[in-house]
Amino acid sequence: MWKFILKRLGSAIGVLFGASLLLYILVINAGDPLSDLRESNAENREYLMQQRIDYMNLEQPWYLRYWTWLTGASRCIIGQCDLGRNINGIEVADLLGNAASSTLRLVFLATVIAAILGIAIGVLTAVRQYSGLDYLVTFLTFLFFSLPVFWAAVLLKEFLAIGYNNWLANPQISIGTSIAIGVVLGLILQMFLGGSLKRRGITFIITAVFVPLILQYTLWLNFYRYPQMGPAVIVVLTVLLALSATAMSVGMKEKKVLYPALISAALVLVAYYATFSLLQNANAWVLIFGAILSVVIPGLVGWFMGGRLKRIAAGVSVTVGFVGAGLTVIDHLFRAWPGFLEVKGRPIATIGSSTANLKGTFWDHFLDNATQLLLPTILLAIISLASYSRYTRSSMLEVQQQDYIRTARSKGLSERTVIFRHAFRNALIPIATIAAFDFAGLIGGAVITESVFGWKGMGELFITGLRAVDPAPVMAFFLVTGTAAVLFNLLADIVYALLDPRIRV
Amino acid sequence: MRIQRVSKAVAVGAAMALALSACAPGGPGDSNPTATDSAGGGNGAEVTNSGLADLGDVTTKDDTIKLTVGAPEFISYNGFTPNTYSTYNSSIVDRMFAGFTYFGTDGTIYPNEDLGSFEKISDDPLTIKYTINENAKWSDGTPITTADAVLAWSVQNLNLNKGSKDKPLFSSVSTDLGDTVPKGPQGAADSKEFTVEFKEPDPDWQIQTWMLHPAHVVAEKGGLTTEEFVEAARAGDSKKLEKAAKFWNEGWMTKPGTLPDEADMPVSGPYKLDSWKAGESVTLTANEDYYGTPAATKNLTFRFVEDAAMVQALQNKDLDVINPQPTVDTLAQLQGLGDAVNIQQGDTLTWEHLDFNFAKGNAFTNLELRKAFAMCVPRQQIVDNLIKPLNPEAKVMNAREVFPFQENYQEIVDAAYDGRYDEVDIEGAKKILEEQDAVGTEVRIGYSKPNERRTNEVAAIKSSCDQAGFEVKDAGDPKFFAPGGTQDRGDYEVALFAWAGSGQISSGQNIYGTGKPQNYGKYSNEQVDAEWATLASSLDPAVHKEQTKKIEKLLWDDLYGIPLFAHPGLSASGSDINNVRHTATQDQIVWNAQQWVRAE
Repeated sequence: MWKFILKRLGSAIGVLFGASLLLYILVINAGDPLSDLRESNAENREYLMQQRIDYMNLEQPWYLRYWTWLTGASRCIIGQCDLGRNINGIEVADLLGNAASSTLRLVFLATVIAAILGIAIGVLTAVRQYSGLDYLVTFLTFLFFSLPVFWAAVLLKEFLAIGYNNWLANPQISIGTSIAIGVVLGLILQMFLGGSLKRRGITFIITAVFVPLILQYTLWLNFYRYPQMGPAVIVVLTVLLALSATAMSVGMKEKKVLYPALISAALVLVAYYATFSLLQNANAWVLIFGAILSVVIPGLVGWFMGGRLKRIAAGVSVTVGFVGAGLTVIDHLFRAWPGFLEVKGRPIATIGSSTANLKGTFWDHFLDNATQLLLPTILLAIISLASYSRYTRSSMLEVQQQDYIRTARSKGLSERTVIFRHAFRNALIPIATIAAFDFAGLIGGAVITESVFGWKGMGELFITGLRAVDPAPVMAFFLVTGTAAVLFNLLADIVYALLDPRIRV
Repeated sequence: MRIQRVSKAVAVGAAMALALSACAPGGPGDSNPTATDSAGGGNGAEVTNSGLADLGDVTTKDDTIKLTVGAPEFISYNGFTPNTYSTYNSSIVDRMFAGFTYFGTDGTIYPNEDLGSFEKISDDPLTIKYTINENAKWSDGTPITTADAVLAWSVQNLNLNKGSKDKPLFSSVSTDLGDTVPKGPQGAADSKEFTVEFKEPDPDWQIQTWMLHPAHVVAEKGGLTTEEFVEAARAGDSKKLEKAAKFWNEGWMTKPGTLPDEADMPVSGPYKLDSWKAGESVTLTANEDYYGTPAATKNLTFRFVEDAAMVQALQNKDLDVINPQPTVDTLAQLQGLGDAVNIQQGDTLTWEHLDFNFAKGNAFTNLELRKAFAMCVPRQQIVDNLIKPLNPEAKVMNAREVFPFQENYQEIVDAAYDGRYDEVDIEGAKKILEEQDAVGTEVRIGYSKPNERRTNEVAAIKSSCDQAGFEVKDAGDPKFFAPGGTQDRGDYEVALFAWAGSGQISSGQNIYGTGKPQNYGKYSNEQVDAEWATLASSLDPAVHKEQTKKIEKLLWDDLYGIPLFAHPGLSASGSDINNVRHTATQDQIVWNAQQWVRAE
C-alpha cells in the first residue's frame, strides 16, 4: 500500500511540474500585457510601458521568467511561499488566501448538500425504478443539470431574493394560493412516500388539508417576521424523534435503546435552559463546543446503558442529542430574526458573501452569512445534484442485479436490510470516486456562479490574471487546483481500496 | 405495522408542536408596515452649471450609500503608481484627496475652493501662485502646507532617480513636473502659499497635480522631518529621499482586506478609509475634520460587482448606485424597473473615429480617395442604430478636440466644417473612384476585437461603401494594437478606435503632430504642426479656441480621419438617492459622491 501511495505521489509531482511549465508558457502568450497602455493617450505612455515591462520582466525569455516563478513557488515546500506579486503589486499569496477561503465557503456546503440529497434521490429512484417518481425525478435532475448557470442565477435572484424580500415586508398568502400549495405538496409527497393506492390517497388528502391550514396559521402568527418555537416544541419533537428512531432501529420493546434515547431528549431540555443565556451571546467556539458535547454526552449515555445493543443505543442517542441541539440553535435563530430584519431589512441579498459593516450580535452575523450563502448554495447544489443522483441510481441498479442480493432476499431479510446493508454500501464505492473528483473540481471555482453573485474566489483570480496576461495569479490558481486534483485523485484510489477489499494491493 | 404507528405519532406530534409554538401572533400588533412617503424624491439640489451644485448648509447624515463602479478590487490608498493606477481605484481614492481643481460634468475645469485658490501672476515665465485655505488640514490635524505640494512635485519628478531617468525614485504615473517646473513649488515648507514657475508655457497648467499625499507622513517614514524632506527634494538629493520614496512606493500596499495604520493614511478630502473586506467592499466614512463642505452622507460603501449582477442588486436595494457598461440590454432592464430608479444617460469624453493610414504605398495617401470614403461612411446611420438606443441625444461628432455637449462645439464646427459629409453620397464617391481609376480599392478596417459595436459599425460601412466601389474588409483582430499586430505592421487602410479625452488642451498634439507617438497613421502636415505649436505655447483661452478652429479645419480639409460619435455613458441610482449626476469625464458617476444623500 505504501509503495503504491509513494509511487502515485511521485508521478503526481511529475505531472504537476509538467503542467505548470505548459500553463506558464500558455499564459504568458495568451495576449499582450501592455494592451491597455497601447490605447492610452497619456503623454508618458512610453515611460509607463517601460515601467511595466521592467516590473513584469517582460523582456526576459520565457524560461527565465518561469524559473523565477518556480524557485519562488518551490519554497512552499519549506513553508516560505513566494508566489510573486500581481500586476497591481499585491502579494499573490495574500490574494490566494482570500480567494481560496471564499471559494471553500461557497462550494463546501453546496457539495455536501448535493452529495447527500443526490445519493438519497438516487437510491430512492433506483428502488422505485420506472415509477412516476422515477420519471419525475429523472426529468427534474436533467432539467437542473442542463440549466445555464447564469440564467438560473438571474431567476433565483428574481424570485428568492427580490420577490421574497418584497413579500416579507408584509407576508400574505391568499387562501387560494395556500390550497394550491397544499395540493401540489400533497401530490409530491404521495409520490415520495408511495405505497398502495389507498395510502397514497390518504397521504395526499392529509397534506392537502394540513398544509393550507399551517400556512394560514403561521400567517396569523406572523411567523415569517416573528418566528417562534420555544422549549415545548423542542421537547415534543425530540421525544418523537427518540421514539421513532428507536422504533425504526430495534423496536419499541427494546428498553436498552429506548431509555437512553429518552434520557437524551430530557438532556436536550436541560441543556436548552442551561445554555440559554450563553447562547444569547454566542460565538463560533460555543457552537462548535456545544455540537461536540451534543454528540459525546448522548453517545456515552447510550454506550453505557445499551448493554449488548450499545452501538445502536449510542447511535440513536447521538441522533436525538444532535438534532435537539440543532433545534435549540434554530430556536435562537428564530429569536434573533426580528432583530436581524431591523438591521437588514431585505435579508436575502443578490451579491456578496456578507453585508458590509453589519452591526449586530453574533446571531445577526450568523444569519447574514447564511442568507448571503443561500442563493449560490442552492444554485450550485441543484446543478451538481443531477450527477450524484444519476450515478447512485445506476450504481444501485447494477448492484441489485448481483447474486448476493438475491441470496440476501432469499434468506428472508427485510427489504430495508437488503437495500441499506447489502446493496447501498456496495453501490457507494464508485460514488466515492465521483465525490473526490467533484470536490477537487469545485475548488477550481465556480467561475460563473462567483461572478454573478459577486464573490471573489478562485475562478475570479484565474480569470482576472488571465485577462491581464499576468502569470503569477494564474499559476497560484493552478498550484492549488492542480494539487487538489492530484491529491483527491490519490485519495479516491485509497478510499476505493478501503471500501473494496478485493482491490487492495 | 410499527412504521404506521410511528408516522401517526409524528403527525400528532407535529400538530401539537404547532399548537404549542405560540398562543398569540408574534411581534407588534399591527403587522402592516406603515407606508413611507418619500417627499421630494426628485434629483435634489438645483443644478446651475456643470460644476458641483450648491447644497447650502450640509450636515452629514448618518446613513450608508452602497455603490459599485465595477468588479475590480480596491488596490491601495496610493493610486498614483503605475501598478495601482486604475479608474476603479481612483473612483475610491479620489474621494479622499482634495485638489486645487476638479472637472465639471462636461469637462470644464472648476477651482476647488474648499482647498484654496490660485492665480496666474505672470505669463512669461508662466508663474502661478497657489494659496491654501488657512483652516485646510489633514484629517490627523496637521495643516496642509507647501510641503505637501513639494511632495506632489517630487513624485512627478524624474530628476529624483537612482542613476538614470528610467529608474525614478518615486514610481508615479505622472512624470513630467521635474522638467516643466524645475524648481518645484517655492515658499516656506510650513507656509500656506507657494508659487510654481513653468519653464515653458503650459496651456494645461490648471490641471497639474499640486496636492496629493501627506508630506509629513512620507517624511516621517523616510526618517526625515518635513523640512528636511522639502530641502532634500528641492536640492535633488535622491540619496536622502530614498527611504521616504520607498515608503511612498510600497508603504501603503497592504494585504487585501487590511488597511494601513490609520495614522499613516490621513486624508485631505471629505472621506477617509474606514474598512475593507477583501473581495467584497471598501467603506469610506466622512472625514469629521474636513475643512470644506462636509460630506452629505456618512458612509459610502464601494462593492466590487460584475456588470451582470448590478441591475438586480439595485432592484433588491443591495446597491444604491450602479455604473454598468452601457449596453442596450442593461438599459432595457433598468427601464423595466420604472420609478424605483433614476437612470443617468449621456455622452462621455471618449470618442470613436476612423483614422486613415498614411504610410507609404497605402491607398489612402490619396486625398481624393479619402474624400470618397468619407462620403460613403454612413455616420448618421451608425449613430441612429448603435448609439441612440443608449443615449437618445447622441449626435454625429464633427470635431476632434471638442465634444457636442461642450459650450464652444457649435462655434468650432461652424468654422471648421461645412457639413459636406453629413449625408451619404454614394454617387459622388463612385464618381471619384472612377475618376481616380480606383474602383475595387480594398479598405481593411482594423480594430481591436472582440468589440461587437465596432463589428456592427464596420458592417454598416461595408454595406454603404461597397456600393460606391470600395471593397471594405473587416480586419478586426484581438492583437490589433499589439507589437507585430495589424497596426504595427501597417496592414490596414483605416483604423477604428477611440480616444479617451483627458481634459487637456494640448494632448491632441501627440496625435496629429508629425512623428508624435500617438500618430499611428504616420500623418504629416507642416501647417498642422505649426498651428499646434502655436496652441501649445499659448496660455490664452481665446488663442486656444482660434487655433482649434484652424486645426479642425485643416484636419477636415486634409481628412486626417473621420470622427464618428462620443461614447455613451450609463448609470443608475435608486430613486431615493438625491444629487446623483451624470458626468462625461473619466471620474465617472462618483465624481460628486460627497453630495449624495438619501431622501427623507
